[in-house]
Amino acid sequence: MPIEIPKDKWPGSVRQVVLGATAAEGGTRTSKVVVGGETCMPFMHFEGAIPNRPVVALEIRDRRPDDWSPLLVKTWENVIDDPAAWAKAAEEVGADAIQLTLSLTDSAGQPMSPETAVATVKAVLQASGLPLIVFGPGQSEVDNLLLVAVAEATKGERLALGICEDKNYRTIVATAMANDHVITARSPMDVNLAKQLNILISDMGLPLDRVIMDPTTGALGYGIEYGYSVMERLRLAALQGDAMTQLPMLVTPGYEAWKTKESKVGEGVPESWGDWLQRAINWETMTAIALLEAGANILVLRHPESLKQVEAAIQDLMTAPDMVSV
Amino acid sequence: MKEFTVRFDLGDKAVQVPSGTLLSEAAQLAGIDVNQPCGGQGRCGRCAVQILDGTVRRRSTLRLTTEDVALGYALACQTVVEGDVDVHVPAQEKIERRLTTDLTVAEVRVPSDYLFSADQSIRRVKLNLSEPNMDDQTDDLSRLLTALRQQVGLAPVTVSLATLRKLGGILREGQWEVTALLDTGTEVGEDLQPARLIDLLPGLVADIEPIWGAAIDIGTTTVTVWLVDLVSGQVRAQASEYNGQISRGEDVISRIVYAGKNSGDEELRQLVLATINSLIERVSQRAGEQAQDLSGRTVKAVVAGNSTMIHLLLGIPAASIRLSPFITAVNQPPLLTAQEVGIDIHPEATVDCLPGIASYVGADITAGVHASGMDLSEKITLFMDVGTNGEIVLGSEEWLVACACSAGPAFEGAGVANGMRATRGAIEEVWINNNDLEPNYRVIGGAKPAGICGSGLISLLAEMFITGIIDKAGNFNLHLETPRIREGAQGPEYVLAWKDETQTGKDIAITRVDVDNLLRTKGAIYAGYNVLAESVGVSMEMIEQMLIGGSFGKYINIEKAIQIGLLPDLPWDHFQFLGNTSVRGAYYALLDRKSRERITEIASKMTYIELSADNRFYDAFMSALFLPHTDLSKFPSVNGMFAG
Amino acid sequence: MALSGIQIYKLLPQTNCKECGFPTCLAFAMKLAAKQVELSACPYVTEESIALLAESSAPPIRLVSLKSDGYETKAGNEVVLFRHEKTFYNKPGLFVKVVDTESPEAIKAKISAADRYVVNYVGIELTVDGFAIEAASGDPEKFSAAVKLAREASKRPLILVSRDPSIISAGLKALEAGESALIHGADKSNWEVMAALAQEHKAALAVISTDLETSADLTEKIRGKGVEDLAIDPDTTGLGAMLTFNTIARRMALKKNFKPLGFPIIVFPKDLVAATQAISKYAGFVVIDDFKPDEVYPLLVLRQNIYTDPQKPIQVQPGVYEINNPNSEAPVLVTTNFSITYFSVANEVEGSGLPAWLMVCDAEGMSVLTAWAAGKFDAERIAKSVKGSDLASKVSPKRVVLPGHVAVLSGELEEELPGWDVRVGPREAVDIPKFLKEAL
Repeated sequence: MPIEIPKDKWPGSVRQVVLGATAAEGGTRTSKVVVGGETCMPFMHFEGAIPNRPVVALEIRDRRPDDWSPLLVKTWENVIDDPAAWAKAAEEVGADAIQLTLSLTDSAGQPMSPETAVATVKAVLQASGLPLIVFGPGQSEVDNLLLVAVAEATKGERLALGICEDKNYRTIVATAMANDHVITARSPMDVNLAKQLNILISDMGLPLDRVIMDPTTGALGYGIEYGYSVMERLRLAALQGDAMTQLPMLVTPGYEAWKTKESKVGEGVPESWGDWLQRAINWETMTAIALLEAGANILVLRHPESLKQVEAAIQDLMTAPDMVSV
Repeated sequence: MKEFTVRFDLGDKAVQVPSGTLLSEAAQLAGIDVNQPCGGQGRCGRCAVQILDGTVRRRSTLRLTTEDVALGYALACQTVVEGDVDVHVPAQEKIERRLTTDLTVAEVRVPSDYLFSADQSIRRVKLNLSEPNMDDQTDDLSRLLTALRQQVGLAPVTVSLATLRKLGGILREGQWEVTALLDTGTEVGEDLQPARLIDLLPGLVADIEPIWGAAIDIGTTTVTVWLVDLVSGQVRAQASEYNGQISRGEDVISRIVYAGKNSGDEELRQLVLATINSLIERVSQRAGEQAQDLSGRTVKAVVAGNSTMIHLLLGIPAASIRLSPFITAVNQPPLLTAQEVGIDIHPEATVDCLPGIASYVGADITAGVHASGMDLSEKITLFMDVGTNGEIVLGSEEWLVACACSAGPAFEGAGVANGMRATRGAIEEVWINNNDLEPNYRVIGGAKPAGICGSGLISLLAEMFITGIIDKAGNFNLHLETPRIREGAQGPEYVLAWKDETQTGKDIAITRVDVDNLLRTKGAIYAGYNVLAESVGVSMEMIEQMLIGGSFGKYINIEKAIQIGLLPDLPWDHFQFLGNTSVRGAYYALLDRKSRERITEIASKMTYIELSADNRFYDAFMSALFLPHTDLSKFPSVNGMFAG
Repeated sequence: MALSGIQIYKLLPQTNCKECGFPTCLAFAMKLAAKQVELSACPYVTEESIALLAESSAPPIRLVSLKSDGYETKAGNEVVLFRHEKTFYNKPGLFVKVVDTESPEAIKAKISAADRYVVNYVGIELTVDGFAIEAASGDPEKFSAAVKLAREASKRPLILVSRDPSIISAGLKALEAGESALIHGADKSNWEVMAALAQEHKAALAVISTDLETSADLTEKIRGKGVEDLAIDPDTTGLGAMLTFNTIARRMALKKNFKPLGFPIIVFPKDLVAATQAISKYAGFVVIDDFKPDEVYPLLVLRQNIYTDPQKPIQVQPGVYEINNPNSEAPVLVTTNFSITYFSVANEVEGSGLPAWLMVCDAEGMSVLTAWAAGKFDAERIAKSVKGSDLASKVSPKRVVLPGHVAVLSGELEEELPGWDVRVGPREAVDIPKFLKEAL
């Protein structure tokens, strides 16, 4: 029976955003990451173009984290006190980019100084040639203080800077503009809030091809369905031609999955939860895969095994199946 | 339990109360009126009093600053007595007694086809009764009823005991010539009520003598009465006044809560009756006759109002209106008499409460729809009545859907730090200079400003947005060079008037919190009519006219209302402001039986849509919490302004 | 295609007679559009309208139900491509596969363990739905024995996996009376016999093909034989191929009302990643090779999440939540179980770094003000929640903090909770850290 396959012809497409600048472009990165550019829903090769594959970044910290699952600490034990070594290790296990989160305080409990933050970022840049995403600790004033210093000290590297939120976006956007960086715009799991933040940023004059949006998601079992649907809706809106949603999406399944009890706790939990390490890796992997299907362009993970599985899935999904001719 | 003395203003007003008594209760005992616009919920901060000496415990200090508390201020409704106390009651915000509407009688045209003898349910008939004699010993009532049947064809007719008591006297005083006033029946719901004798007057009253009727609109905030000559159909006097219940809660929810406490329901009933009766007295005087005679000769009243107001007026428990699944006790009350209801007109006068359709879409809306004429129009019409609650009706002659959204009182000046009602001293329009960010404003009555009213807030919000003082999300831009933008106690704010220019001697500023409040209010209204339209598959572009009712409509500047995304970006000629449509609908129903039937029909065909059960509302609301809207393509004219 | 409320309204009598139980014909029409009432509730609708409405309301994807003693697993009846457009209705059945070449002990042990498996997720008990028995032996007797073993170990519905009709026939005969299994399955060469078997045993039948045209051909032919309960298998191990097949099949059914593909999809994912995709993207039955709790648990949770109705208010489990390791001196903060309310309060408290007990009251998923207005969040309910917990023995001083929006409840709550110090907190969550630092 001949079938006429219904193809969606979308008027819009996702903007292409470049992370990292090589020497030729005024930076020192040995590779760049290009995300976005698709003209169809995730992996619908038969009806549109997907010029760039989704990428996986690994999260590292500027110092030994206080609240990570012991499983993760064990995995990275050899490098966990040295962000530069950690970055190198992340590159070695196959990450496409590094995501460095700065801490509120240093290991002595003192407030993180801009000088220390800059030194850390520079060490990481030196150790790995991958594009770098830098997040502040998540408190407006500290974020502004640290990120401005980092942005100025790394002018031209085309880092992605976060966290830019609706109550605190002006300073970070201004410094990204002045120093040729990209920003990640985070909004709390709502289509409208995501779009509103993009409008505010665009109103400041930052071109939208220098913005990545982080619509925020929950982990599997902890609200993933909201983030999942928000992402699908954002992507549909982008393809329908809504300019303010046509940005690549960055999500942090590593952060989300590894803060759940399922991943953090090994003892005193129900037997039906199964093996701790396998469960934790599955939790992160499945959270990431679900978000990948919903349109994620950059997935920030924490465990090398999850990274391996997600990279393999991306490779499979990026191969256009021959069963349907375009 | 221990008793303590609470003394007010160091005077002789002191009361003994048990430990743990609220200061507001003590004040009431002492006969001191402490204003409680939020109904004693600790939300509005208007009942602040100053503790001069003694021990109290503050359950909540919401809306008081740390300095206020240090100075001894406490919320009367949230503070309990734990020792002897001396309290100072500061001068309360005086409730202005008259609204601007009251000063200017709006032109009301009598419907051109109105014919008293054909349209009016009230009839005045002159009867010649045969005098009784020894051969005709028929009783007085039968004699009257026979005459009514034979001479004017009315039967059956019901007669009250009060009328029976004076029947014999009047027949004889008039020497068997009498004039009867009857209500010949109004179709209420599905039943035609039988004719009812309201009054009997001795002798034959001239046809040109007026017969009076009253159209009454009970708003949550404002009560309006029109006095109408039913013979000519003319409105002879109008008056409005704040609903006396305001001091017991500003919104319907607060009122319902208040009614549920002790004898709050009876107190509220008396308060609104007092308001209605004082208005009746006022319109009677204005109509120029001896007041008592006239109110005594007012034989019909039609009442419109939201469902809560009607319940409270009739003393019917309103609690279930507030509670999910939001059920009224009655949508269409039966015909009542003035005596039963407690309105000071002719005791036998008919009181006809118009039908509502749901807890939050009441008779004010069915009356408003009728007044707007949308139910007879081929055009797809959106009608909204914006008060503390926003009610929205969409449809045409074919179908009607309605919803209600809780807009909040921000556009009435409440819930905003320097908000006030649209009375003398209120800033009603604002312009801000694009270059130096200095404002210009116009004040009602040309006085020194005391605050900002709804229209002023809409215009201020639009101006701050256009000049970049706030961004599209309402965040203040603290990087701008002007002393008017500063960090206040509640976060960033913009000073509209410095203290030396104001009545109060304090700066008039608008804060980040106020901006959020206004965004929520306009967002709820915008989301309300959009979701309503979407739920029946109508897009904004399909709407051919937009009618706006409520006192809100009088002041609003369309351009600014579009700029902030309150009204949709339609051509300006699509909008029409109708003022108080509720009382106008009541007036039509008072005059004309056909109108009354139409309102019944409107109520029966209007479909109520509950927005709180609809997730789309939340989504639409979130997207409307932005200036003008998250979807910029919905406001091309505003976008164009920025592009230009 | 589904009709809108207004379109349906035009087919109704428009008399607003109220006999259907709704105040107006339009209200009834909107309920019909939302599939929340039956048209038969209207006594006056014309035959013509009934016919028109019946066509528009037929499900584009057939509901297929596998039944066994006391169990039922349903798939199909879906109406949208993206869950936010309405909701996904029938959670895909999760089946664990056993192979008839394994030892009887191994088969029994695997099935028993999976059959017993229960995991609690937010108060819901999740289990697997059934088992797939694969005939790797090629021997009808062995297969029949395996089916019998499965039936001894579990009463849950079964999927019988073989392309050989004689083997399937043996398996079907081993089933208990009255149950409906799924045969997997039919292909170009065996469909006719398989269809006859399905009809004889009232079983559902899966068609297997990597291309959609063959699948559609097969379902049409089998339907011609009178078998209506079908499923389709994309027969691929690739993620990309599965996603494309499933998406097109669902789109054809929903957008083109193309009946030959309007059936639930059955997937045999090669690994956990493929199973994840199958659950998110349109599978109606998912058959996994291994039974491992560390995989089954997250799969069941994902299925629960993806099939949550996005139209319903999002609720969190009522109860006491500990934030930042509260000790006895930490205050008890009260809020409602609307998830957005909960998340904003919990986030602010967490961000403050200060310890607190967060008492989440059951307010039917409404926010503080809405719940209060609707009478679902009052002093009595709050007191009940507090008393129902063991907080009284855990904290000293006993301080309970109300949201500022319901300051009005403080008096009543004091009466309901003697011995507790009732405080009024801020109205907005953002002010909580300041309140915790300064006012407590």
